[in-house]
Amino acid sequence: MSYSHPEYLVDTEWVANHLKDTTVRIIESDEDPLLYPIGHIEGAVQVDWFSTLQHPLRRDFLTREQFEEVASKLGITNDTTVVFYGDKSNWFAAYALWLFQYYGHKNVKIMNGGRIKWEQEKRPLVKDVPSYAKTTYSAKEADKSIRAFRDDVFKQLEGKKPLVDVRSPKEYSGELTHMPNYPQEGATRAGHIPTAVSIPWAQAVNEADSTFKTPEELRALYEGKNIKADGDIIAYCRIGERSSLTWFVLKYLLGYPNVKNYDGSWTEWGNLVDAPIEK
Amino acid sequence: MSFDCRTDKHSPSAQDEAKNIMPLPSKLQEIVDDIASMSREEKLETLIAYAESFPPLPERLKEEREKMEAVPECMTPVFLMAEKQPDGGLIFHFDIPPQSPTVRGLACILANGLNGSKPEEVITVPADFYHPMNLQEAVSQQRINGFIGVLAHMKQVAVNLMETK
Repeated sequence: MSYSHPEYLVDTEWVANHLKDTTVRIIESDEDPLLYPIGHIEGAVQVDWFSTLQHPLRRDFLTREQFEEVASKLGITNDTTVVFYGDKSNWFAAYALWLFQYYGHKNVKIMNGGRIKWEQEKRPLVKDVPSYAKTTYSAKEADKSIRAFRDDVFKQLEGKKPLVDVRSPKEYSGELTHMPNYPQEGATRAGHIPTAVSIPWAQAVNEADSTFKTPEELRALYEGKNIKADGDIIAYCRIGERSSLTWFVLKYLLGYPNVKNYDGSWTEWGNLVDAPIEK
Repeated sequence: MSFDCRTDKHSPSAQDEAKNIMPLPSKLQEIVDDIASMSREEKLETLIAYAESFPPLPERLKEEREKMEAVPECMTPVFLMAEKQPDGGLIFHFDIPPQSPTVRGLACILANGLNGSKPEEVITVPADFYHPMNLQEAVSQQRINGFIGVLAHMKQVAVNLMETK
């Protein structure tokens, strides 16, 4: 058994062999944005989930035009193969990949294991920040089929369709309004969206090197909680970064056709007046 | 001496005291002024330089590691302890993984600014002392909250060293 779409995953060796490949752009996307200036993969550019990818004013992502501008500055064309990697088991790498898909960039991949594995293998990191010639980039209309808004979640509840809560067990049970160690990104109410099943994101990766678990392990994990390929699924966490990793696993590693990431996540739902909550 | 929150029992003098804002320890004030005058890029460069020169935990303290204070507000495992010097000044030691350079950089601001200060000085640093540095233009609010958490734990460590003197 192999992953359903293995073309969305590359290993560190593949990246090491494509550092000079002009059809490939490597993007580092971290939780701690200072990691990139201290050392990154040669030729890689940086995006920061907050300062690069978020709308400067509203709680939303860049507009289509703003996204085109970012892609153009990073020297990415519509045909470029974009490979994402990052710290923390690729949370924000998956988040950036999800946003690239949202604006229709087809050819995207994650470097399995991310920064952790690259460093474990003692592969070189450099400080030189590359610059690439600006390109003309044309983004597509936002693909709402991979993004859930709060109204979609209400419809999901009405339709009794599956929701996956990928936060830590204590956030799910309502003992905490935030992730352990992230007190500031809280919500006024604790608990989870009714009917959501708890499958913490970390269960999808190997603790030792941050690589994804095998297809068999992943299938057993999600099917065991009744999250199946024929479902119309919404995944959420706190701000949508951990659930974008789960979204990636369900959509590309297991090949589920209908999976959305709810980026409003608990910081929206747990503050939303009149929204139903379970503990 | 025992540490006591200022309560109403001394209300007139406590109020007077609150009006007299305590000056920051001079080294910390210098760092605050310095960073306040920097551009966003210079702030980031300073944090990177701090993170890269972050000292490892001294060998002799490695076995103390388990006794060090963990800072739960931080997103990464942050441990800290302080040693009291003969003149009563404190030297803070941190153990923060290199995978978290922002946290290392911010902890350096506190360590560089407060090392050598007496416990009594450490505990008077107001929790909002960092406002003039305008750090939020360089790092996210979640980091700043972690930073405040680290300061709170440094104060706790300082209080403990006052009690055991």
